[in-house]
Amino acid sequence: MSQLVPEAAAAEPQDKVKIRIEGLKKSFGDLVVLDGIDTTIKHGEVVCVIGPSGSGKSTFLRCLNKLEDITGGTVIIDDFDLSDSKVDLDEVRQHIGMVFQHFNLFPHMTVIENVTLAPLLTKKMNKAAAEKRALELLDQVGLGEKANVKPATLSGGQKQRVAIARALAMNPSIMLFDEATSALDPEMVGDVLEVLRALASGGMTMVVVTHEMGFAREVASRVLFMADGKIVEDDSPGEVFDNPKHPRLQEFLSKVL
Amino acid sequence: MRIGRPRHGLTAARRRPGRGLTVAVAALLLGLLGAVTLAAPHAQADGETYVVATDTTFAPFEFQDAQGEFVGIDMDLIRAIAEDQKFNVDIKPLGFDAALQAVQADQVDGVIAGMSITDDRKKVFDFSEPYFESGIQMAVLEDDNEIKSYEDLRGKRVSVKNGTQGSDFANSIKDQYGFEVVSFADSSTMFDEVKTGNSVAVFEDYPVLLYGIAQGNGFKTVTPKEDPTGYGFAVNKGQNADLLQKFNTGLNNLKQSGRYDEIVDSYLGEGASTDDDSFFGLIKSTFPILLEGLKMTVILTVVSIAIALILGTIFGLLRVSRSVWLRAIGTTFVDVFRGTPLLVQAFFIYFGIPSALGFQMSALTAGIITLSLNAGAYMTEIVRGGILSVDKGQMEAARSLGIGYLPTMRKVILPQAIRTMIPSYINQFVITLKDTSILSVIGIAELTQTGRIIIAGNYKSFEMWLIIGIIYFIVIMALTKLSDQVEKRIVK
Repeated sequence: MSQLVPEAAAAEPQDKVKIRIEGLKKSFGDLVVLDGIDTTIKHGEVVCVIGPSGSGKSTFLRCLNKLEDITGGTVIIDDFDLSDSKVDLDEVRQHIGMVFQHFNLFPHMTVIENVTLAPLLTKKMNKAAAEKRALELLDQVGLGEKANVKPATLSGGQKQRVAIARALAMNPSIMLFDEATSALDPEMVGDVLEVLRALASGGMTMVVVTHEMGFAREVASRVLFMADGKIVEDDSPGEVFDNPKHPRLQEFLSKVL
Repeated sequence: MRIGRPRHGLTAARRRPGRGLTVAVAALLLGLLGAVTLAAPHAQADGETYVVATDTTFAPFEFQDAQGEFVGIDMDLIRAIAEDQKFNVDIKPLGFDAALQAVQADQVDGVIAGMSITDDRKKVFDFSEPYFESGIQMAVLEDDNEIKSYEDLRGKRVSVKNGTQGSDFANSIKDQYGFEVVSFADSSTMFDEVKTGNSVAVFEDYPVLLYGIAQGNGFKTVTPKEDPTGYGFAVNKGQNADLLQKFNTGLNNLKQSGRYDEIVDSYLGEGASTDDDSFFGLIKSTFPILLEGLKMTVILTVVSIAIALILGTIFGLLRVSRSVWLRAIGTTFVDVFRGTPLLVQAFFIYFGIPSALGFQMSALTAGIITLSLNAGAYMTEIVRGGILSVDKGQMEAARSLGIGYLPTMRKVILPQAIRTMIPSYINQFVITLKDTSILSVIGIAELTQTGRIIIAGNYKSFEMWLIIGIIYFIVIMALTKLSDQVEKRIVK
């Protein structure tokens, strides 16, 4: 399944910095959700973000493609500074795929229309090329036969795999996953995680907000543990899960494992 | 609620010798009926065509019959004189004030519109010999044997039409005889007021009374004519002297031949009404002209609602914009047009704006603009509601793919919003169709206005409003059923 990952994304140098975050702050009114985040994510890294509810994981992720406005600090994606108001967000977002907890497929379109919409509207591909690529991607996620049905007829797991194909159709070099398996029935989770595994092994740079500790331990190259809007622990999965240092992480793991 | 055309008051001013023409206001009214028809050729030589302007509805002098033809004493008279004097006449029903303006501007050759000859008017027009002697009379119900003179009115109510000489006269004697005066915008409601028993008598020009009586409205006159005044044919001061001469000569010939009396009798005499006045007779005779009115109603509705959809989409998008300023524009638009009555909007757009900016607009144009803006405001809220009903994850998903805001709206949000909008949209369509009736106030000949014109001619208000109500009901029910089918198909 290595074709899942766009060639351009896979071909980038191994140690290239893809995401640089410095002093990132985010507030909703008086509520401080992110309270100074600093981290760097390099090409090919699979960074899993874990932490209790309300710790700011999803907000953190949504700041990386500026679905949330940034209150303070800087987020630099490749060469684009997201805190610069003049940056062309549409162009930046074309390099960053995002997968949502609730799939957010376009219900009035068929599966293949969902996948080809963005490449066509952003004029990245012509119709023939977009459909060819869409069918390839749908085959890769095991849904080639569903190309012409409406999303309403699909199961949750199928929907999420279509959503992944839709994001990949823009040939992104970074993928963001926002609790991609949380809304799925347990038996559906495996199919989706398998696609994520394939992406990770193909060299895609990924930031994955997840509650799947097993998946994080297995696939992540790094795990960030967030609490109260801060990164409390940032280490390899082995260290995070087997040798937690911070009391908050220890407490968290004691509850979820 | 009663809605009076402002024209009523002005039109009636002709029958008030003491009051001058309100030229400034008349200029506003020159508008549409005029604007379209005024490009008429100006007659130059003898034996050619003269363009003569007249009022739109002033029975029995000029009004539309069931076939939509302009008939009446003035119309028959000018045609007979033209025949007698061997010239052609091209009649332009512009409305009273617009007709006077058009003569003064030399855009038409003359005007015949039941116009009183007054000293003020003599300053700007040259008048023919009076061709009709008018005056005020009091009328009561046929079976009323109590009211025989002004003395019998003590403690009672009488009804008059706004701004008429009859109204002035009634007000001038009400204190002396101790009665109360109530005013109405048109003759048929003035009569209905007495029929329902709220008032006991009307004061009105005697030809208007006689005509109504001839149409079988169930009244009788009980007092002698007061304040006699002559009606005259008029040309612009110092212009068209030969036309005036022909009119006078022709009028004289008709009087001698007895043709003049025939014409007047045919409207005011016994048995002047030859129409079938039964309910089904009325349906049959008025149906063609009502259909014309219905056609105008449908055109107004369809054009306006289509424009309203475009406006609603644009302003609806502004209403959900992230920019405070764009939202403010959208909100202002909605607040202004939802926060003022449609009637006021129609007056403002038709009368107010053109007079302030010094241009003319046809009533149809003004009507479509008014309805479009009004329905557009409601459509804005419908579109906004539709957009807000779409899960915000849809916007986020599309934006996260690098699709711009407007393409996202167009391809992702609006197609989904439309589904929730359809029932409201159908509802607005029906409301707008009904609202077209309000545009009768600016003289658009849609269904309601057509009904008012017909009733001004035949005084059958109960039957005609029933017929018109039924037509509206049938059309709206049919549209609703049709829309239900469409809705089912789209939503499926």
